[in-house]
Amino acid sequence: MESDRDYGGGQVPLREFGDWDPGPAGPQRRPAARRDGIRLARRMSNWTAAALMIGSGAAAVALAHQALPAAAPPAGSTAAPGAAAGSAAPAAAAGPQVAHSVVTTSGSGVTTTTTTRTVHGRVIVTRVRHAPVYQDN
Amino acid sequence: MTTAPGRAPAVAEAWRHVATGDDAVAVAERHALGTSARVAVWPPENLARARAAVDEVLTALDRQASRFRADSEICWLHRAGAARGGVFLLSDGLAEAVSVALAAARWTGGRADPTVGDALVSLGYDRDFAAIGPDGEPPAAAVPAPGWQLVRLDGPLLRLPAGIRLDLGATAKAVGSDRAARAVMAACGHAGGVLVGLGGDIAVAGTPPRGGWPLTVADRPDPAGAPGTQLVRLARGAVATSSITCRQWRRGGEVLHHIVDPQTGRPADGPWRTVSVAAATCADANAAATASIVAGAAAEGWLKSAGLPARLVTRDGRVRYLGGWPSAAGLPLPVPPAGRVYRGPRTGGHR
Repeated sequence: MESDRDYGGGQVPLREFGDWDPGPAGPQRRPAARRDGIRLARRMSNWTAAALMIGSGAAAVALAHQALPAAAPPAGSTAAPGAAAGSAAPAAAAGPQVAHSVVTTSGSGVTTTTTTRTVHGRVIVTRVRHAPVYQDN
Repeated sequence: MTTAPGRAPAVAEAWRHVATGDDAVAVAERHALGTSARVAVWPPENLARARAAVDEVLTALDRQASRFRADSEICWLHRAGAARGGVFLLSDGLAEAVSVALAAARWTGGRADPTVGDALVSLGYDRDFAAIGPDGEPPAAAVPAPGWQLVRLDGPLLRLPAGIRLDLGATAKAVGSDRAARAVMAACGHAGGVLVGLGGDIAVAGTPPRGGWPLTVADRPDPAGAPGTQLVRLARGAVATSSITCRQWRRGGEVLHHIVDPQTGRPADGPWRTVSVAAATCADANAAATASIVAGAAAEGWLKSAGLPARLVTRDGRVRYLGGWPSAAGLPLPVPPAGRVYRGPRTGGHR
């Protein structure tokens, strides 16, 4: 390797940071400069090889990850057209199958108010229902 | 600086079992916070622990934020601050509820403003709704909201100017649903899944049933046989509905409702009668739904900019779907990944 190339006149050898000392120009400097340059080139070559290996490994992992089959979506979890950013049913596959509505989201209507009072030693429970006065159009 | 005195313990009402037709989940319901609370869990054997956890959260929230309990912390706050205002040291739970209300006001451009308390009182909504007479004298002059910017909260320290009455109706129940869902999962060792609904404000946690929890979207709590309902599924996050079709009363022959436009101090008078919104937290969903009723014609643009799936019903019953809310029945709601006004309950924050 060291004999591969000779730095001829007009070429500047590669240096490490902090090594900048042009020194005396001329033939007496050429062997040391040549050794420094080759050492640096070898070091850079090693780093480049390491970076390539790491990059190749990362790419292989990414490709393998994408190649895995996607988990089957849970029943009824088809994404709505034009869905906003967000997820609909993460980890839903582990839950039970439930077919019927369990609750209603609506205006917060008043159902009943329970009042308990004691009169002459007897507990009287009163339930009041307050119906809305709104009528559908 | 002033602190609230101790309060008397409250007694939780009895739960009743609700048969839905599915044995894989257990569902129970009781009266709470002037409306109904419902909890659904799987596996069904988690129900007892779930009910106890919900009871604890709701009892604490009622003591903290109920405008209709003389011994609640917020009523004490109003009495203590009525004349001269002041700086008050709040409990963690009320501080969190006020913090969410102020964040909601900022997010919605003041359309969901917690300083509408006096506006509601002036309209006759000055006691538990069930105790309001269905008819009465014409309302007093409208009282526009003083503005949420006048209220300052720094951790548990609240600076409340004189004469401001807070109403956390646009967010408190929803915060209760978020807290309760989280508390149930903790009580059940994070096994299975839970849905908690408080008067239409629904939050889920844990692992949902396949495809998500099936729920009905409607104008009113009891939609049996009513046209215009929709079945959707919720796998994570929350959904909330605000509607002018509920909580109505008459004054001087005029039908009033509880969603007040903070700018006018009058019931909102826009084109929507019901708005449902899905969001990462129930507090976000309810704030957005209430703000949309108030925003009127501007609601669609605001909801789109907020990236929230929504279902809006016009006064004559036409339905608009926004942000990926499915128009067909039985499909899952797409839920944004993070809340804007509420990140979820802090540990122990509900007490």
